[in-house]
Amino acid sequence: MSHVSIRHGWKAVALVGVMSLGLAACGGNSSDSASGSGDSGGDLTIGASLPLTGDFSEPGSAAKQGYEVWQAITNANGGLLGRQVKLTIKDDASNQNTIVSDYNALISQDNVDMLLGTFSSLLNLPASSVAEKNRMLYVEPAGGSPDMFNRGYKYLFFAQQATADKQGLVFADWVKNLPPDQRPKTAAYPTLDDPFAAPNVDGIRAVLEGAGIKTVYKTTYAIDTKNFDSIVAAMKSANPDLVVHGATFEDGVGLTRSMLKAGFTPKMFYETSTPSFADQYVKAIGEENTEGVMYAVSYSPEADTPGNKEFVAQYKKMFGTAIPPEDAADAYAAAEVMQAAVEAVGSIDDQAKLADWLRSHPVDTILGQLTWDDTGAPEGDFLIGQWLNGTAEIVLPPEVATAKAEVGWHPGS
Amino acid sequence: MTELLQTLVLSLLVGGIYALVASGLTLIFGVMRVINIAHGAYLILGAFITYTLWNQLGLDPLVGVLITTPVVFGLGWLIYRLMVRPIRHAPMSSTVLLTFGLALVTEGVMGLIWGNNSTAIRPSYVDESFHVGALFLPKAQVYGGVLAVVVLGALWLILTKTWLGRAIRAAAANPASAELVGIKVTSVAALVFGLGLAAAGAGGAITGVLYPFVPGSHYVWIARLLAIVVLGGLGSLEGAVVSALIFGFAETVTAVYISPAWATAVPYAIVFAVLLIRPQGLLGTRLRDDAVAA
Repeated sequence: MSHVSIRHGWKAVALVGVMSLGLAACGGNSSDSASGSGDSGGDLTIGASLPLTGDFSEPGSAAKQGYEVWQAITNANGGLLGRQVKLTIKDDASNQNTIVSDYNALISQDNVDMLLGTFSSLLNLPASSVAEKNRMLYVEPAGGSPDMFNRGYKYLFFAQQATADKQGLVFADWVKNLPPDQRPKTAAYPTLDDPFAAPNVDGIRAVLEGAGIKTVYKTTYAIDTKNFDSIVAAMKSANPDLVVHGATFEDGVGLTRSMLKAGFTPKMFYETSTPSFADQYVKAIGEENTEGVMYAVSYSPEADTPGNKEFVAQYKKMFGTAIPPEDAADAYAAAEVMQAAVEAVGSIDDQAKLADWLRSHPVDTILGQLTWDDTGAPEGDFLIGQWLNGTAEIVLPPEVATAKAEVGWHPGS
Repeated sequence: MTELLQTLVLSLLVGGIYALVASGLTLIFGVMRVINIAHGAYLILGAFITYTLWNQLGLDPLVGVLITTPVVFGLGWLIYRLMVRPIRHAPMSSTVLLTFGLALVTEGVMGLIWGNNSTAIRPSYVDESFHVGALFLPKAQVYGGVLAVVVLGALWLILTKTWLGRAIRAAAANPASAELVGIKVTSVAALVFGLGLAAAGAGGAITGVLYPFVPGSHYVWIARLLAIVVLGGLGSLEGAVVSALIFGFAETVTAVYISPAWATAVPYAIVFAVLLIRPQGLLGTRLRDDAVAA
């Protein structure tokens, strides 16, 4: 009997070892986490849960970088309220149930002093409810669905320029006002069934239909859709001049690749989120296929906004590239908003005061100046980006543009 | 008419690839009565290995199958010897739990090695199609479909024309009697587990070219694969192939003629309906409660 136990013992140890390694990699707190304020000798602890694995791991990982850059810069400048800041970041695996557990654990077990938001409306919807219930300020770097802001919450603020339904309006107005010979006559609107992507597309469609641009194809697909060939085949039959695609990342890549395979290259192509992933986007669809693709974006690395140069420099120092992804910048801006409120109020004891201050004061961020209405929804205009000659340029509105907007998608050029 | 033909062609190409990946899962169940929840994770592992071979060595992903498949086979053999065999006589729920744990571990390890960023394999033909009249046949799908047929054909030949195949079928049908005629059922089971995962690895090489992936992509795949093998009849290779083609057809037709929003739901509704009429699946046989696991 003992022989059998010993013989199997090493296997059990190896199995447990490997599983521990893997499970550690799958979830739990990230390596730069710290314990709650009670254990950290006066550090100001800030908690967040991000989708570091699963469907939203791409933007979640970028958001983590943004928070880490903010931590490094803030601590180098003396911290917040004279205390060094420490991040506690959990991985919610892109799961709505896990994120509720994570934010509850951050508040009741890790005893964090402040919270920061997560990525995507899908995850921020439940996470912000936990913060609201616990009366803690919740500044989110993403989560622009209008549904976020019709719940009467007092502690929720969105650290971008506009909610999803308004993010494409600058683009829609530009299309509407194109000369008749350049203006598309028909449009197709495929979109992911997502509280961010769908309102974004609906907002554009309402403007363009009002301008007489005929909708020839419209569909919503499920989040686990992998194969876009059938959608593209149907779109190709409808033959629209313009495609407005509501996407996150993988589905944006999938649909674009299917369009290329089908030889379906409409005159104009606008897509939410996906083209803003810079290097990842270029690697996924090929630089030669990016020419002319348009998208809404909250951030430009070249923007002359307060603190942007410092952010880009620190990002490069920590992550090796001077082109931070949009989601890293949005996360950094969310932390800046939280920081501004804390510094202005001078205390974190009553977080209702922090929320009241944000409702009545603008905040300068690397995205530009942000202001909010009573629901925590931002009141500004989004930027419109376009891929031109292999570079992501800001083309609208004209006053902040780095290049002139061009009509046409020219894949393969 | 063109739209219908296009839909049929696309569904056939998708179904063929589903068949390849599902074949390994049903093979493992057929011989060992193990429902391998980690199957999708090894499909993604195959995609990542293929990506590395393509990205670092410039090896075409479909040629990379020649390396990916043996690597994943070896890993499968090792996993069986170290982890599955010790609990092979335990209730089926134990192996489900073990393989679910393996899926999580594999996802975590892939995240450590390759990161959690979306990865795409883009050989030169990835955006190109063959054009037949008004129809388009994406080259990557066509090559993937041909490869799937070749691998499935090889698997069928192994199972029906070789001594190993006879041993596998004997071990699946009656492990105790197979032992009596000199078949080492445990060794056969290890080979089958390896073969099953190798099919997933080969499928990963193909799907990695067709769709971008992250370590967590396996959740979507395992849900789809389990539905396919249950519809075909757990343990039936022919059933898995027929079911995969039905699944691909239902997905594609729904997306085109009903709505893409229903494209992932309708195939599951078909599975549900079939199981109500035929609980053992299309080509499956009813399991005996006293069947001895290998």
